[in-house]
Amino acid sequence: MSRNNTLLFQGVSYALASGQVLSVRGANGIGKSTLLRILAGFIEPQQGSVSYDNQVIFQDVAAYQHGIHYLGHDNGVRQYLTVYENLTFYAVLNDRVLSTSQCNEVIQRVGLWAFRDTQALCLSAGQLRRLSLAKLLLRPAPFWILDEPTTALDDQGQQILADLINQQLQQNGMVVMATHQDIALTSKPNVLRLGS
Amino acid sequence: MTLFFSLVSYELRITMRQAFSWVTPLVFFIIVICLFPLSIGTHSALLSEIAPGMIWVTALLAVLISIGSLFRTEDEEGSLSLLLLSPYPLSVLVFAKIASYWLTHCLPLICVTPLLGFMLHLPALQVLVLCLTLLLGTPALCLLGAIGAALLVGIRGNGLLLPILIMPLYIPILIFGTSAVLAASQEQPLSAYFAIMGAFTFMSVAMAPILTAVALRMGVSQ
Repeated sequence: MSRNNTLLFQGVSYALASGQVLSVRGANGIGKSTLLRILAGFIEPQQGSVSYDNQVIFQDVAAYQHGIHYLGHDNGVRQYLTVYENLTFYAVLNDRVLSTSQCNEVIQRVGLWAFRDTQALCLSAGQLRRLSLAKLLLRPAPFWILDEPTTALDDQGQQILADLINQQLQQNGMVVMATHQDIALTSKPNVLRLGS
Repeated sequence: MTLFFSLVSYELRITMRQAFSWVTPLVFFIIVICLFPLSIGTHSALLSEIAPGMIWVTALLAVLISIGSLFRTEDEEGSLSLLLLSPYPLSVLVFAKIASYWLTHCLPLICVTPLLGFMLHLPALQVLVLCLTLLLGTPALCLLGAIGAALLVGIRGNGLLLPILIMPLYIPILIFGTSAVLAASQEQPLSAYFAIMGAFTFMSVAMAPILTAVALRMGVSQ
C-alpha cells in the first residue's frame, strides 16, 4: 500500500480469530492508520484483499461496515451536542432505540456523568476520547477497529478501555488496534509490527 | 421518515448553537443588497429593474460562501465516518443534512427578501414572485452545492474551487428565477417558469443526495 507515491507497507498477511486482539505497532507514519482504514473498508488496498467471515469485504462493504466499530484518530464526536445528545445521535444513526436510563448507564460507565449535559466543545481531549469509547457500548459489533484508543486517556480512562476490550473478547469479539502503549488485557494481544 | 426528521432536528440544534454559521450569510445578503442603492443611487425605476437579478445573485453568493462548510465540521471532527458506517443509506442522511441547511441558511434569506424588495421599490406582485422563485430555486442551489462540498472534503485550502465547480450549475436556476420576476412585471404567464424551476429542484432532490453520498465516500477514501 502506498500513499502520495510513498510505499507504506507490503506483504502484510494476518488471520485473526474470534476472541483475539491484534495490536498493530510501528513508527509514526508507517501506515498503521491506513491499515486500519483499509480494515474498516474506507480504503481499498492497491494489492491483495481483506476478508471477513470468508468473504472479501469490498464485495459488500456497506453490509460489512454495519458489523464493525471504527474509532479513528478523531473522536467522531459532534462538538455542539452534549454528551447525552451525542450518544442519542449515534443511536439514531445506528437504528438503536436507547432509553434515557440506558444512555445514563453508559455515560456513568465511561466516567462522564458530571458532564452529561455539557457540550462536547467544552470537554478535554481525554473526556472526548471517553465519549468516543462510550459508543462501543451502544451497539454490539463483533469486530472493533481502534486507532490509538489510549490517546489522551488517563489511568482510569485506560482501565475503562481495557475493561471494554476484555468484555468484547469474552463475548468472542475481535479487536484490532493501533497503539504505542500496552493495555492491561486479560489475554496477551497478538502483535503485528509494521516496518520490520 | 422518523430518522429523517430526527436527523434534521439534531442538525438544527447544532446550527442554532453556532449562530455565526447561519447569521453570517444572512448579514452578507442584507449588506450586499444595501450596498447597491448606495453605489448606484436611489432612482426607483433603475433599482426596481435590477432588483430581481441583484437579489438572486446575492442569494446565490450567500449560499456559495456557506455551503462549502456543509461537511467540513464533520470532516474535522471525524464524525463523517459515523455517517458512512450507519446502516441507513448515506444519501438519506445527506439529504437530511441538506434539508436542515436550507432551513437555517436559505429560509431566513427568503424571509427578509420582501423587506429588501420594497426597499428597492419592487412592486408587491414582483416581490411575491421573487419570493416564490427563491422558495423553488434555493433548494436546488443547496443540493447542487452539497455535491461540490462533498467533492472537496479532505482537500485543504479549497476556497475558490467550490464556486468554480458549482457556479456553472447555478446559471439555469438564476436565469429562470430572474426571468419569472421580469415576466411578472410584464404581466406574462408564469406557470412555465415555475414548472421549469420545480423540475430543476425535483431533479436535484432525486440526484444530488446520491451524487453527494458517492463524493463523500470518495473523499473519505483519500
